[in-house]
Amino acid sequence: MLLENTMPVLLSRLDFAWITSMHILWTPLTIGMSWLLFVLEMAWLKTGDERWYKLNRFFEKIFIINFGAGVATGVTMEMAFGILYGPFSQAVGPFFGNILGFETITAFMYEAGFIGLMVFGWGKVSKGMHAFATFNVGLSSTLSAMWILVANSWMQSPNGVVLKNGLFQVTNWWNAILNENFTWGFPHMWVATVELALFIFAAVSAWFVLKNRNADLFTKLLKPTLLALLIVTPIQIFIGDTLGRDVATTQPTSLAAMEGHYHTYLPNGQVNTGWHLIAFPNAKNDGNSFAITIPHVLSLLETHTWNGKVTGLDSFPAKDRPDVWVPFYSFRAMVAIGFFLFFVALWGNWLRLRGQFNAQALRKHPWFLRSLVFSGFLPYLAIWCGWWTREIGRQPWVVYNLMRTYQGVSHMSVGQEIFWFAGYIVFELVVWSGAWYFFSRVIAKGVDDIAPSDTLFHHPDAGEADAGQAGGGFAKPTFAKPTMDKSL
Amino acid sequence: MFDIARISSSLSTWWWLILCLMFLLYIGLDGADLGAGIFALFSKDEEERGAIMASMAGFWDGNETWLVVAGGVLFGAFPSVYGSAFNYLMIPLMFALWGVISRAVAFEFHIHAIGSKRFWGWMFALGSLLAPFGAGVALGAVLQGFPMKHGIAAENVAGAHALAFDMVPHYSGTALAFLTPFSIWTGFGAVIAASLAGGLYLCARFVPGDAIHERAKKWTSAFSLLALGGIVITLIWSYAIFPWAAAKWTGPDWWVWLIWFVVILGFAYKSMMAHANQRDFVALLWGEGVVALMWFAMWATMFPYIVPNTWTIQAAANPADSLAVFTLFMTGFVPVMIMYNWYQIWVFRGRYTKKAMYAGH
Repeated sequence: MLLENTMPVLLSRLDFAWITSMHILWTPLTIGMSWLLFVLEMAWLKTGDERWYKLNRFFEKIFIINFGAGVATGVTMEMAFGILYGPFSQAVGPFFGNILGFETITAFMYEAGFIGLMVFGWGKVSKGMHAFATFNVGLSSTLSAMWILVANSWMQSPNGVVLKNGLFQVTNWWNAILNENFTWGFPHMWVATVELALFIFAAVSAWFVLKNRNADLFTKLLKPTLLALLIVTPIQIFIGDTLGRDVATTQPTSLAAMEGHYHTYLPNGQVNTGWHLIAFPNAKNDGNSFAITIPHVLSLLETHTWNGKVTGLDSFPAKDRPDVWVPFYSFRAMVAIGFFLFFVALWGNWLRLRGQFNAQALRKHPWFLRSLVFSGFLPYLAIWCGWWTREIGRQPWVVYNLMRTYQGVSHMSVGQEIFWFAGYIVFELVVWSGAWYFFSRVIAKGVDDIAPSDTLFHHPDAGEADAGQAGGGFAKPTFAKPTMDKSL
Repeated sequence: MFDIARISSSLSTWWWLILCLMFLLYIGLDGADLGAGIFALFSKDEEERGAIMASMAGFWDGNETWLVVAGGVLFGAFPSVYGSAFNYLMIPLMFALWGVISRAVAFEFHIHAIGSKRFWGWMFALGSLLAPFGAGVALGAVLQGFPMKHGIAAENVAGAHALAFDMVPHYSGTALAFLTPFSIWTGFGAVIAASLAGGLYLCARFVPGDAIHERAKKWTSAFSLLALGGIVITLIWSYAIFPWAAAKWTGPDWWVWLIWFVVILGFAYKSMMAHANQRDFVALLWGEGVVALMWFAMWATMFPYIVPNTWTIQAAANPADSLAVFTLFMTGFVPVMIMYNWYQIWVFRGRYTKKAMYAGH
């Protein structure tokens, strides 16, 4: 363990952890919100209710700022495997490289091909074409999440490959793609994106109700949002639990680290069934120096039996054990947030049942509204914690049980790695603070200056002379003419 | 019946061609956007920078994403190159990526900014300069090749073994191995080429007589001459330091290269003439033709290497079955990608004035 985690190896992990952690702040909202924007757009097209249009255009402003930040940080990711983990990239190329190639071709580019139409195409393409573009952004970003989760899950449970000539050569594509961890890992991530986007809707709406600005409009959005959350939040808890039991069978070291579970058996020879609420792992990483333990809970959680055996870290050589601190606490934080969000969803729907869902009545429940605003931040933290648990729990392996992390690290000097880290601290923080500053600006500006939808195809500020020239300007694309004149 | 080696060699050559095309689409399309950003370095007001940014708002992301696709194809078909060359190019790629990041966020922030408009305008313009410079340095560095070794790549991991992975050589040079007079020159060369493409693009994008069009016209004329000079310098320099290039250009097929060069000059002449006659879109197309022809010539010169004297196409390619799966599932998407990107650019086509563009911003 100590031998492997030399400075260059530790720094390369830190370098990669930093850019991935700062990238995952953006993509989930893009994925989840693109579907919600599609729903809003369809609601507007089907009912003709202008309020859905207004809400769509408002949240789209947040969406596009978020998207820009996601692209900015995402291009780096595509190159970072080769830069920071060259030997890893070479060895996993036959499978992982292919999957990343699939992702760029069928998802990343697919999304880029429609995002411009979605954001800047209003009034330039027909309404139907626009809704189609929004749908494609939703589908492509979901595909992107799927491929990335295929690749990452395979690192957790590397099925369907054989190590030959220094390369992980694929023997069974289906087993490799639909590996054990992927089955529940992808749904867990995808539902997280939807849950995050719904809570952003809810948090922003609650803020407007709280400030008594366009309160009726945002109350209208809160109703379906909270109803959807009542379904999504418990589903996410269920999927998470299932994934946890999956990890218990495929990656026992990771599960043991998540639970701070060092000893399979108690000193008296009985199965150790204790679940720790709090634990302080000792410096040698072979036991807890302090723990608050509840017996039987661990067996109940992982095996769904009273006395089931859960493999502890002492069943593995010291050099194969991950660090316990981070997985243990980040896992607990994620679970706590999951349950809190479920509780908030229950609270909201209970208020609705009691007939409190109009702007005036809602404002009499300021603590509920404040909790909603607060809940807008929590999914971010939960996603971070989940990924830290997943990635640190897999250590010291980069490909579980097949390739150790140090074997995959690029040839880099410590100075080089610090330079990368320092540079990306600056750039990612500028991106993050800039995006959040402009989120707050957009929200403070509100919905009142959004022009009504019937102005979409009129461009009063573009004179006839400009529009006529070279078939361009704000003029309609000629091929789109037939659909342009209809309302739909 | 099936000769695996032969299938593998045809498939890897096929992906080498697609890789060439993806990089070409990137430099051809995003090159113009980047060049327009370099042009914006010299804009006097934020309105002009805003108008330039708005002119590409609908498709800059698509154009830039060709780079990501090229990276994905490289990883998917030639992971050995991806894993060693990017390690070698860490520093220039880092600078290029920082440029890309600055630009990408500036696009979204500039619209909403009030007090910080100038700052994001500069981030856009500087990012547009940094990205082609870093990429150009990286390209020059690749042409020089790089050292590799078997064994553990990470430094200071004493006593560790990776026998299972020793078959594949990893990059083994220093952080600054990429840095030579030639690679710095190609960095400047890329900036000059992008500036020219940006000028041609802006001429085609803004209405004649508009302030931006007027300035872009002079800019383009100046950079056409610089670019021609740049091409000649790069060719002579390459001939002097790259034996593999010199051997090909003066080998038995010397006349092919000569004709090719004359055709390139012809394209450049057509572009300059069209520009002088204010047929701006036509000038842009001829200019892009020059880029395409030069790019193909470079790849043909490197064949059968993907990185000269370092990785051949064969040695760097994935095993045959991975390539087959990649071919089966991905080749069909290449024309589809080109089609919907073309549609997106088509929707946002046309000429604007600075004012109208800024208002729509």
